Amino acid sequence: MTEVERLWRDRPRSRFLRWSVAVLAAIATYAWIFGDLRAADSFAPERVGRFVREVLPPAPDWGRGLAGMGATLAMAVLAICLAGLGGLALTLPGARTFATPEAYLPHGDEPSRARRLSWGAVVYGTRALQLFLRAIPEYVWAYLFVAMLGPTAWPAVLALAVHNAGILGKLGSETVENLEPATLRSLRAMGASRAQVAVAGIWPASLGRFLLYFVYRFETCVRDATVLGMLGIVSLGYWIADARAKRFYDEMLFYVLLAAAIVLAADVGSAWARRAVRSAP
Amino acid sequence: MKRPLPIGARGGVLIATAIAGIVAFVALGLSPSQLVPQRGGLEVVRDFFARALSPALSYESTFVPEGTQPIVVKALGAALQTVVFAAAGMSLALVLGAALSVPASQAWGGGVLYGATRTLIALMRSVHELLWAVLFLAAFGFTPFAAVAAIAIPYGGTLAKIFSEMIDEAPRGAALALAGAGASRTQMFAFGLVPRALPDMSAYAFYRFECAVRASAVLGFFGFETLGYYIRASFENLHYGEVWTYLYTLFALVVAIDLWSGALRRRFIA
Repeated sequence: MTEVERLWRDRPRSRFLRWSVAVLAAIATYAWIFGDLRAADSFAPERVGRFVREVLPPAPDWGRGLAGMGATLAMAVLAICLAGLGGLALTLPGARTFATPEAYLPHGDEPSRARRLSWGAVVYGTRALQLFLRAIPEYVWAYLFVAMLGPTAWPAVLALAVHNAGILGKLGSETVENLEPATLRSLRAMGASRAQVAVAGIWPASLGRFLLYFVYRFETCVRDATVLGMLGIVSLGYWIADARAKRFYDEMLFYVLLAAAIVLAADVGSAWARRAVRSAP
Repeated sequence: MKRPLPIGARGGVLIATAIAGIVAFVALGLSPSQLVPQRGGLEVVRDFFARALSPALSYESTFVPEGTQPIVVKALGAALQTVVFAAAGMSLALVLGAALSVPASQAWGGGVLYGATRTLIALMRSVHELLWAVLFLAAFGFTPFAAVAAIAIPYGGTLAKIFSEMIDEAPRGAALALAGAGASRTQMFAFGLVPRALPDMSAYAFYRFECAVRASAVLGFFGFETLGYYIRASFENLHYGEVWTYLYTLFALVVAIDLWSGALRRRFIA
């Protein structure tokens, strides 16, 4: 037996991986065979041909288009700012290393049962709130806020803000939990209060991470903002739904392209912000 | 010893964000007074959350036609339809992503092909899956394949982008050794680079499958019978208990996939 054959025989193998791949392949096969997807029918030449003639060239309405782009981008920006503030508020109380009776203190007196339990309630209450906010999809939040506030831009802004606050809060709490505790312990040992540790120790050490998550969620917010307008909030999504209802496909394509343009612009902006954050001292 | 100040580039990003937030607030013409709930608004929210712990186990309408499936069966059927679109879309996206990731990686070379592929990928990704759905529905009419394509195109673009970055970040040792032994570029890719990046690539693809399930659920808003279709219908009929039934089905689906992919990741990335 050659060396290569021996290496091949001894390669790492996992039954779990094989089964997973097999099950996934089976699901995909099932979907294509029994899912009634009618892929071939979709490309009916006369239908697709008519669509191509109707959709091209895109019909620009720059007045509406630019205003829609501005509104969409503004909704995403305001939403992510509010989400950042909300996520920040949910960060420390959700961090198990910080929200304890003796955060970063050497083990001294055993804290009282009541104090342990109440800090436990803070941590798990915050975690539950984070989970609740992010588990409900943003479109369900949007429905609720539209029902509550009526058709202003607030429902879209708040829906994105609430959902992302849950995500950012969770990521923030995990960041704080993963911080190297040595510095924070020595700060605390020098007599810093809990608040001083937060401001002078935790904030500078985790700000970079926070910003990376913030920027990453901003990109998602812009993407989602391009469709939330379909709920009746005047922005690109609204004009897309409007053009679709009237079957003005060339106009629709114009707004879709504008939506793609702001998503691309947000990607470029956030890549720039990421580089700035990474290069920070 | 001089400690670096905790501001600088990061502070700049913070300040820019704050200014942008204020500008956005002004540009949208919003005022806090619009946050006062309209008449009946609070009742909707209260009624909705009141049913969170008591999802409907039977229909809430007074009239249910003879022979309607029980709601649990309907929810499971919708979950299956959700998975069908997600799986079909993802399998197509994997083909697209794998094919495009090679010319999109710097390791393959650069030049016109690289630039063109990157542009194509950016275009595929930057249009939201619901907007792709709008386009495909207009092009194909109401066929299930429109939903599949709406997932496959943006996800294919995302997979191609991430795959190409993973290939570029994979350890180069084996690839260089192969190249030194006279392997062609294709052989170097197939046996040197891709195998090193494969665990990360599969973990990421699995994560995107979870996203595809969510996307497939939302596509129900266009009339495909996924979970989103029933969530919307029940919400509009004010049957909030039913909304929660479908929402919990969606949560269960997403959590199951998340646990599965987490178990795989622990075995491979660790």
